[in-house]
Amino acid sequence: MFVARSIAADHKDLIHDVSFDFHGRRMATCSSDQSVKVWDKSESGDWHCTASWKTHSGSVWRVTWAHPEFGQVLASCSFDRTAAVWEEIVGESNDKLRGQSHWVKRTTLVDSRTSVTDVKFAPKHMGLMLATCSADGIVRIYEAPDVMNLSQWSLQHEISCKLSCSCISWNPSSSRAHAPMIAVGSDDSSPNAVAKVQIFEYNENTRKYAKAETLLTVTDPVHDIAFAPNLGRSFHTLAVATKDVRIFTLKPVRKELTSSGGPTKFEIHIVAQFDNHNSQVWRVSWNITGTVLASSGDDGCVRLWKANYMDNWKCTGILKGNGSPVNGSSQQGNSNPSLGSNVPNLQSSLNGSSASRFEIREFVR
Amino acid sequence: MSGTKPDILWAPHQVDRFVVCDSELSLYHVESTVNSELKAGSLRLSEDSAATLLSINSDTPYMKCVAWYLNYDPECLLAVGQANGRVVLTSLGQDHNSKFKDLIGKEFVPKHARQCNTLAWNPLDNNWLAAGLDKHRADFSVLIWDICSKYTPDTVPMEKVRLSAGETETTLLVTKPLYELGQNDACLSLCWLPRDQKLLLAGMHRNLAIFDLRNTSQKMFVNTKAVQGVTVDPYFHDRVASFYEGQVAIWDLRKFEKPVLTLTEQPKPLTKVAWCPTRTGLLATLTRDSNIIRLYDMQHTPTPIGDETEPTIIERSVQPCDNYIASFAWHPTSQNRMIVVTPNRTMSDFTVFERISLAWSPITSLMWACGRHLYECAEKENDDSLEKDIATKMRLRALSRYGLDTEQVWRNHILAGNEDPQLKSLWYTLHFMKQYTEDMDQKSPGNKGSLVYAGIKSIVKSSLGMVESSRHNWTGLDKQTDIQNLNEERLLALQLCGWIKKGTDTDVGPFLNSLVQEGEWERAAAVALFNLDIRRAIQILNEGASSEKGDLNLNVVAMALSGYTDEKNSLWREMCSTLRLQLNNPYLCVMFAFLTSETGSYDGVLYEDKVAVRDRVAFACKFLSDTQLNRYIEKLTNEMKEAGNLEGILLTGLTKDGVDLMESYVDRTGDVQTASYCMLQGSPLDVLKDERVQYWIENYRNLLDAWRFWHKRAEFDIHRSKLDPSSKPLAQVFVSCNFCGKSISYSCSSVPHQGRGFSQYGVSGSPTKSKVTSCPGCRKPLPRCALCLINMGTPVSSCPEQHNDIT
Repeated sequence: MFVARSIAADHKDLIHDVSFDFHGRRMATCSSDQSVKVWDKSESGDWHCTASWKTHSGSVWRVTWAHPEFGQVLASCSFDRTAAVWEEIVGESNDKLRGQSHWVKRTTLVDSRTSVTDVKFAPKHMGLMLATCSADGIVRIYEAPDVMNLSQWSLQHEISCKLSCSCISWNPSSSRAHAPMIAVGSDDSSPNAVAKVQIFEYNENTRKYAKAETLLTVTDPVHDIAFAPNLGRSFHTLAVATKDVRIFTLKPVRKELTSSGGPTKFEIHIVAQFDNHNSQVWRVSWNITGTVLASSGDDGCVRLWKANYMDNWKCTGILKGNGSPVNGSSQQGNSNPSLGSNVPNLQSSLNGSSASRFEIREFVR
Repeated sequence: MSGTKPDILWAPHQVDRFVVCDSELSLYHVESTVNSELKAGSLRLSEDSAATLLSINSDTPYMKCVAWYLNYDPECLLAVGQANGRVVLTSLGQDHNSKFKDLIGKEFVPKHARQCNTLAWNPLDNNWLAAGLDKHRADFSVLIWDICSKYTPDTVPMEKVRLSAGETETTLLVTKPLYELGQNDACLSLCWLPRDQKLLLAGMHRNLAIFDLRNTSQKMFVNTKAVQGVTVDPYFHDRVASFYEGQVAIWDLRKFEKPVLTLTEQPKPLTKVAWCPTRTGLLATLTRDSNIIRLYDMQHTPTPIGDETEPTIIERSVQPCDNYIASFAWHPTSQNRMIVVTPNRTMSDFTVFERISLAWSPITSLMWACGRHLYECAEKENDDSLEKDIATKMRLRALSRYGLDTEQVWRNHILAGNEDPQLKSLWYTLHFMKQYTEDMDQKSPGNKGSLVYAGIKSIVKSSLGMVESSRHNWTGLDKQTDIQNLNEERLLALQLCGWIKKGTDTDVGPFLNSLVQEGEWERAAAVALFNLDIRRAIQILNEGASSEKGDLNLNVVAMALSGYTDEKNSLWREMCSTLRLQLNNPYLCVMFAFLTSETGSYDGVLYEDKVAVRDRVAFACKFLSDTQLNRYIEKLTNEMKEAGNLEGILLTGLTKDGVDLMESYVDRTGDVQTASYCMLQGSPLDVLKDERVQYWIENYRNLLDAWRFWHKRAEFDIHRSKLDPSSKPLAQVFVSCNFCGKSISYSCSSVPHQGRGFSQYGVSGSPTKSKVTSCPGCRKPLPRCALCLINMGTPVSSCPEQHNDIT
């Protein structure tokens, strides 16, 4: 069962992104008020804002943490066409006494000519790397060659997606069997039905990112995209927020079978598709094990999705955007996935009943 | 609103009231129903609100448009524009003694009758009312009335007055407007500009015009088709929206030549466009025959001056109800709240939520931001749900030292929460494997020890074609059944299945006793029966029936068992083979399957999925011939691998096959914790070096790091290095010389040996090593202890009172 409580955020305008650090003890938020706030969790579990500063001259769309191995580092991106890297300064200052910490800008990435819509640090094993995407349809990958010097970032790759980009996600897998991979979503709303999710993979031989896959079935604007933490699995799971919630699995076809050197081939399956949000889905986020997906949509609700052991995905919780629980009565109708999954349903009726019992437990307080 | 389609309006000041108008005006009162039941007679608007009808006013026929008086007024004064161009003031209140009493019933009459299209109260001078009319020859189409005016010119012919208002109310007729504008034109929409009391924006026949009442001869205008529904953004007074058919145009009054942007065209004509009064830059639009309200969230407006930044507009849509929507109205003060009405006058009240962004923290709490607010949502700690997510389970198991009990290996399933039968089976398997490996090693070192961890599949394979069967007598029955002679391999398999104990003793008695103790009577009875002891089976069932938690029905089963007959065509046989399928307990079911089976055909037992794998395998070892057994084990192994069923580890052992099985288990569950600990239990090095195994271990360590379980991770590393010495973590701390900066640990051995680090340094060092009190690099003395001022590296006396560690 989940219980929600409200935290006084004190942003002066809409909050666009929330991001946790690796340990979940720090949090960053960014807003249309052009600022970023950093929050620290106290021993009692309360969140305290320990830093708040103006980061950009436009709405800040996204904020993200680097792995703590690289220090306390944040990246933000904004409507003002830039992305920026921030580092916390540890030292003796008056700020500390007031419970405030000090963040300095290490670099501004100014290559984009349009609004920078997303920024994400690469998985730790790739070193200190950063990807941005922008409304002009270009994904840029930067690297800090010297992790001690965060003011130097070199633009390593520019990938043209030919569509206005809205979101990116790195494949978190650190297995040597998986090449670095990044998925890009587009919110291009022109009526022509072009595939809106592209997946690029790094090729060791050419040292370039090449398109590995395109999710042809996703033709509506995509607002968010997220690879699930891989956690030792042999395949990748990708959640897409478009006019519905979709979950794809990408299973690499064994290398021996494909010609070496070329891009990895994948068997792509859509394992779940839910239109319970009735309309656009804005965000998707995976838990640490990649077993529970949270999504938010235009129905003003946050929904939780989980697969049972037959890989059948189900809604396991619904919360209203203002934290209040959704009444159990109206839930039963909604929470049954109308589309379900197109996985052959081998499940016995026994499983079905146990899953729905769980749902009720989730909603009834 | 033309008779059929209702319109809806919130009261500007009494925020719990709204009016629905079609052929009549109906005033409703909204109540929250969060803490109360729905009252009789009220209409449900949403999950937590309901409306009660307060009054109906049908005094004003031919309504074309309605506007709510902007001053606070308990009597709900409304202006109604009629089809003949008259504007009537009317009220929905019951109290006729209000200060606005004089205004009620007042009519404002244009010179020529034609339809009144729109009404707009001046937000600054609340007595000014602008009315937009259709075209009538060269007459004016925009009339501005002062509702307090008492002036009734005599020029109006009496009969004309009579036509609409009746004789008694002649004094309430006003025919002289304050201003007359828009000559020789039609007016479709109007709105006052908040910048100045005297600026009026009007959508005329083919242009948008701004009239300045200070100088009525002049107007500013721009030719456009988008002249309907002009409305000013309450947050940016220079921003105006208007529409034409399916297209919305956004104007900047400072750059009035052309729209600053037009929104994507919608397939059906628009009927209403309205800015949200409680949130910047949110425009709601409605088209004909649609159940969707489309919202445009303008995060950044293009500025008239400055660069050509692309505006960021996020298009959204909400579906408040299933029917088509006739009209909607934003709530004047509640954030993002809106009420909609359908053609058949059902209403619903809802709030447009901001786009929610969300993030999971590693410790399974969910944070999301909605608007300017943050919400944290945590899983309740004391939830006893079996359906906990694997992330929570792994965290709790890590805390309970799951996987680290290397002596009583089976106990690990209890540390895991004793809730998962697969984990129970896995840890018992690993326990038996460990036990018998040690056993074997003692008996004949280096012989079959490695075979045990290779699983029953390999064990059985290794003894192919050496077993013969013999007939055995049933205990307590005059019957004989073929049983395979148990060679060493089969015995080992049975031992791994847990049926028999160490040694060559083939007695299942102890196993039965332990089952009975745990209350698993059905299983115990089945095992007894498979060992041809029907008397014992019946006895066990009896015991079960008479025990406290037992099921009385077991007695019935025992009776059925005791009626066993070997005759092929007996009624007992016939009934049992059909009725057994209705038994719920799989063990009871297989007992009858066994008894009724033809000789040598045991599929009813072997392929009963609900019976534990270990019991089926043990059964197979007892009754199947070598080739049959091999085929069966092979088949079962593949099944287990496919399903990622941990019970199958019994068959595959910790081999490549086991890794395959574990891979599908991890794919299915994400439980890298069990995978890591299982593989670290006794896998041979080449299996441990499998990329997948290493990847699970790495992922599990990463999880422990994310949870800040540093000690658990250290314990895990130690546990790991016992089996895989190469994985020993590198030394993390070095002491370097103050002078030359070199690590002093190098001093101790001439060969730089990574990882061994401190064990060779200082006190614990062997006596043969010279004491090291100086840096090996530069021969300068090592730093001194802060307390005793003795150089580091000096061997300490054995006196325990002193600081024991290296100084």
